[in-house]
Amino acid sequence: MLDVHALVKTVAGGRRVLDGVTFSVKPGEFIGILGSSGAGKSLTLRAITGLTEIDSGEVRFTGADQSICRVAHAKGAELRAARRQIGVIFQGLHLVKRLSVLENVMIGRLGYISPLRSWLYGFTDAEARAAVGALEQVELASFADRLTATLSGGEMQRVAIARAIFQQPRLYLADEPIASLDPRNAEGILKLLQPLAKDTPVIGTFHQPDFTRRFCTRVIGIRAGRVVYDGSPQLSHHDLNEIYGIREVQTA
Amino acid sequence: MTAYSASRRLLRRAAIGAIVVTLFLAAALRCDVRPEIFRQGLGQGPNFIASFFPPLWSAAGEMVTPVLITIVLATSATLLGLFLSFPVGLAAASNVAPAWLRQPVRVLLGVERAVPETILLLFFVVAFGLGPLAGVFSLALGSIGMLGKLLGDAMEEVDPAVVDSVRAAGATFWQTIRYGLLPQVLPALAAHTLFRFDVNVRNSVVLGAIGAGGIGEEIAHSMGMIQYERATIAVLGSLLVIYTAEAVSGRLRRRLLGAEA
Ligand SMILES: Nc1ncnc2c1ncn2[C@@H]1O[C@H](COP(=O)(O)OP(=O)(O)OP(=O)(O)O)[C@@H](O)[C@H]1O
Ligand SMILES: [Mg+2]
Repeated sequence: MLDVHALVKTVAGGRRVLDGVTFSVKPGEFIGILGSSGAGKSLTLRAITGLTEIDSGEVRFTGADQSICRVAHAKGAELRAARRQIGVIFQGLHLVKRLSVLENVMIGRLGYISPLRSWLYGFTDAEARAAVGALEQVELASFADRLTATLSGGEMQRVAIARAIFQQPRLYLADEPIASLDPRNAEGILKLLQPLAKDTPVIGTFHQPDFTRRFCTRVIGIRAGRVVYDGSPQLSHHDLNEIYGIREVQTA
Repeated sequence: MTAYSASRRLLRRAAIGAIVVTLFLAAALRCDVRPEIFRQGLGQGPNFIASFFPPLWSAAGEMVTPVLITIVLATSATLLGLFLSFPVGLAAASNVAPAWLRQPVRVLLGVERAVPETILLLFFVVAFGLGPLAGVFSLALGSIGMLGKLLGDAMEEVDPAVVDSVRAAGATFWQTIRYGLLPQVLPALAAHTLFRFDVNVRNSVVLGAIGAGGIGEEIAHSMGMIQYERATIAVLGSLLVIYTAEAVSGRLRRRLLGAEA
């Protein structure tokens, strides 16, 4: 349903930060992307949503109606149509802090309402109730009217997930959803993502092989802009060495 | 060895001080400032001041309409300036507008700020005649010069990841502005607008004196007719306007910005 093919991106200085990233995603998968800092994990996700322009390569996304959308080079309405079907779980701290929790969740369906309406009165009461439903799924319904800035990091992360759930996408992307969370909160987040993936595939980037081992169905290892591992989440020392290039990496 | 040197800084400060004193003395000589002038002027001072008293209290009723005109003038100029400076701010922000639009807008804003509102008024008086309307347009244009630049700067400071997170949901350009950018610049927008309101209230009195109507016109008129006791009432009226405006904007500032003020 998602085919990422030969993504290449060159930045100033001629360095290839994406160097032929290729993989595809099937229904039911919970994919964990591993790789050291600067390997190109975030860029890969940004290329899938068209937030970062790539030099060459293709991102083919099969929509709900089996229509195929080429996200990577799409523009305007076509790009927005593809984005509506991809729910991005940003790091919680990238929520709009000065809006209420509920408004942040409702941003998930901004792509479905007319621009004029969003300036006049925003969302309807029915949409607000549905958004509260999404908050219930992450057990934060009582936070709906709180100013987002007052939430803890873990709570913000769950609101970010509620926003993506509310969007009702066909694919979830999550860039370091458990960064800067304590182990218990991190586990809580993964326990939210795992059942989501049963219906709608999830691609997440992580820095913790022990977590991907426990929760993901598949691991993709990226190193210097290339896919160097693609397979079972049960990584051997050899696999970790391939991905991180150091022998001392310990698995928990 | 670092560039940090106490003696060098001391020398530099002494040099700056010497330059300032020299310029001051040169200006005084050039303008033919002599101590007698002060002695003469100060001698007439008490008489002149006395001529403003007692205030002509019976004229207070005539000041109500001019006071209202001045308040309406400053308020509508601020609101008009605010609404127009938002799109101008967008056009001036490097993370929103392309360079071909941003650069000319920034230059125009700079030019606009360099022109005092009193000069702008002269132009608008030609277009709209004497009166508050010309005043509203000059103050609104002046507000755009300042608010447009400050808003543009504030927009450039927003967290791009937050804006991206809204775009990623499939939002259009204007939806991204509404939900990703506007909430982030709201505090700056409120603070700068309220500050500009205080400025506009003061300037509306000044512009009134040179043709925009309102309480400023009453001051200028009374002075011109040598009705100094009446001028006192007009000055009191303008003080009332300025004081009230500051009280209102202060309250709004605390309400809108809370702890951030
Ligand atoms: N616009 C850009 N200009 C120049 N270099 C860039 C740009 N965007 C990304 N890069 C570089 O591309 C490389 C990959 O970045 P990316 O954000 O994908 O890393 P990452 O794998 O997500 O790392 P981390 O684990 O630290 O988040 C980095 O070296 C980064 O500096
Ligand atoms: Mg990253």
